[in-house]
Amino acid sequence: MDFITIVFLLYSFIAFYFLFLFILTYIQNKKEFFSVPSITKEYSLSIVVPCFNGAEHIEDTIKGLLNLNYKQLKKIIIVDDCSTDDSYAIAKKFEKKYPGKVVVVQTPKNTGCSAGAKNYGAKFVKTELIGFTDDDSHPEKDSVNHIIGFFDDEKVGAVTSTVLVKNRDNFILKLQSIEYKVIKFSRKLLEFLDSIYVTPGPLAIYRKSVFDRVNGFDEKNLTEDIEITWHLQYQGYKIKMAVPSRVYSVAPSKVKEWINQRNRWNIGGLQTINKYKGTFLKKGMLGNFVLPFFVLSWLVGLFGIFILGYRVFRTVALKYLSASYSVQAQTAVLSLSDINLTISALVFFGLSVFFLSLFYTIFALSNVKEKQYKRENFFTVGFYMLFYLLAYPVILIISLYKFLKGDTKW
Amino acid sequence: MLQNKKRVFLEALLLTLLVFLLGMLVGVLFEEKRVDVIKEYYIQSEVSLMDIFALNNFANLKDVGCDNLRNSNVDFADRIYEEAKLLDRYEKSGRLTDDMNLQHKKYDVMRTFLWINTMKYNELCEEKRTHTIVYLYDYSTKDLSIKATNSVWSKILEDLKEKYGHDIILIPIAIDSNLVSLNSILENFEIEKYPALIVDNKYVIEELSSVEEIEEYFE
Repeated sequence: MDFITIVFLLYSFIAFYFLFLFILTYIQNKKEFFSVPSITKEYSLSIVVPCFNGAEHIEDTIKGLLNLNYKQLKKIIIVDDCSTDDSYAIAKKFEKKYPGKVVVVQTPKNTGCSAGAKNYGAKFVKTELIGFTDDDSHPEKDSVNHIIGFFDDEKVGAVTSTVLVKNRDNFILKLQSIEYKVIKFSRKLLEFLDSIYVTPGPLAIYRKSVFDRVNGFDEKNLTEDIEITWHLQYQGYKIKMAVPSRVYSVAPSKVKEWINQRNRWNIGGLQTINKYKGTFLKKGMLGNFVLPFFVLSWLVGLFGIFILGYRVFRTVALKYLSASYSVQAQTAVLSLSDINLTISALVFFGLSVFFLSLFYTIFALSNVKEKQYKRENFFTVGFYMLFYLLAYPVILIISLYKFLKGDTKW
Repeated sequence: MLQNKKRVFLEALLLTLLVFLLGMLVGVLFEEKRVDVIKEYYIQSEVSLMDIFALNNFANLKDVGCDNLRNSNVDFADRIYEEAKLLDRYEKSGRLTDDMNLQHKKYDVMRTFLWINTMKYNELCEEKRTHTIVYLYDYSTKDLSIKATNSVWSKILEDLKEKYGHDIILIPIAIDSNLVSLNSILENFEIEKYPALIVDNKYVIEELSSVEEIEEYFE
């Protein structure tokens, strides 16, 4: 058995393992998948919205928050991070119209990151719970109600929600919509394993006392929502996910923006791994699963792309040499004998992993019912499986390079 | 809490091991099936080879006609040439077991036998000599340049075979099979690098050449 075959089998094994882990977790917990605890106590809540040059969406975001039917929502605090557009003026209009309910504050100087604005806004919060939503996110009317019941358990430090893509006008947005749904499905499964690793920015609610205890968000981290989740896990708090609680977020509509976003996620992930590396195989599920899972994802992704690159390079070089030698020897550059349609046993492994992943993806998609959007078509799902996911490891290389270079700015 | 969570991790591991081992078993059986096909071909070829040997030995005692000898050699060469192509395809797609390598070695021995036999034939029937091309290549090379050269030689030889059909005996042999008989024969030729062609047991060609250039060596 050659090295490439061993690598291929190892990758298949890892893929099978995680797919089975998720499938078994779902089977064992499917009754609780959509369930949320009923509200026994209405905790007071403030929602902080960090805003930097978000004039395009901030109005809709504030309207959406005002439309929430949670009665104990005391304040909506818009934190303008010294925007250079009209964000501040737009938010101020709402403050004037809803005095006491909408509060607009401005950071003394641009903090340069979402965490800075969030922490600044948190200083104005006096309620039992503190929520955060991005300036381009739109929570559904009853999204907060689905979350509140979880806080009856004193060990719960944070509750996250289902994040879906709002704008689906072009192909890359449609692909991200699929991705968000798969992530949402997987995140809930991770909750059953006490392993939620992120409370995403579009809508997450924290117990204020716990938020203060962990000193809020880490402003040096590019993915403060990942870091705080690991911090909460580190402190022994539970993280929950309310599946019926939905928030629609504006996703990057251009490839360059998408790459930048993914780079930020990856670099933030690396920063978080680096910060919590000492918990490896310690500290409950954080050190025993979340951290190893993250590290493994990086190793598998980077090594995989290296091997793939090496194979592609060798194949291209071989074809090039063969073609030039063929010309030199005056024989056909391509002949039927170059085409080998004999199937390898490894193809069956590859196909099994692919179809099991496809089944998982389709199942995750069918788990989200949306009246206002069309279902994903076969071509988009196929493209997502075959090409979109393959782009991940390539971005990992760019992210690693930037991380090692110290380029960790927003 | 961790203890409770461990169960599903273990269950997933057991399920993965089960599916994986089952997959490996099916994969090995799948490849073994191909080895069986090659073995079957090999046995038939072996019988044919023995038959040719018998004919050649008989020809030493009594005249059986050069055409008869020539046809049997060429037919046999064509047959194992086709089988070599199948063997090559199976080898390229065989990943889990090394059984095909052994088959390859067995075929190399057989092709060496055939080469010796054609040498005998050409001595016996000097007037009706048939062109013999022995293609010697490095089977397990990782060097891209050599692999590319091998693939181009294969195409050239296929073109040559197509052009000459029954008038040429084509014998591809892997030089890294470490066969004593083959090594002894090769000592008679001054070959500096592989792949190489030996045309009519006389001329050694080490550089890629066109069909026309090879033809120039035919006497």
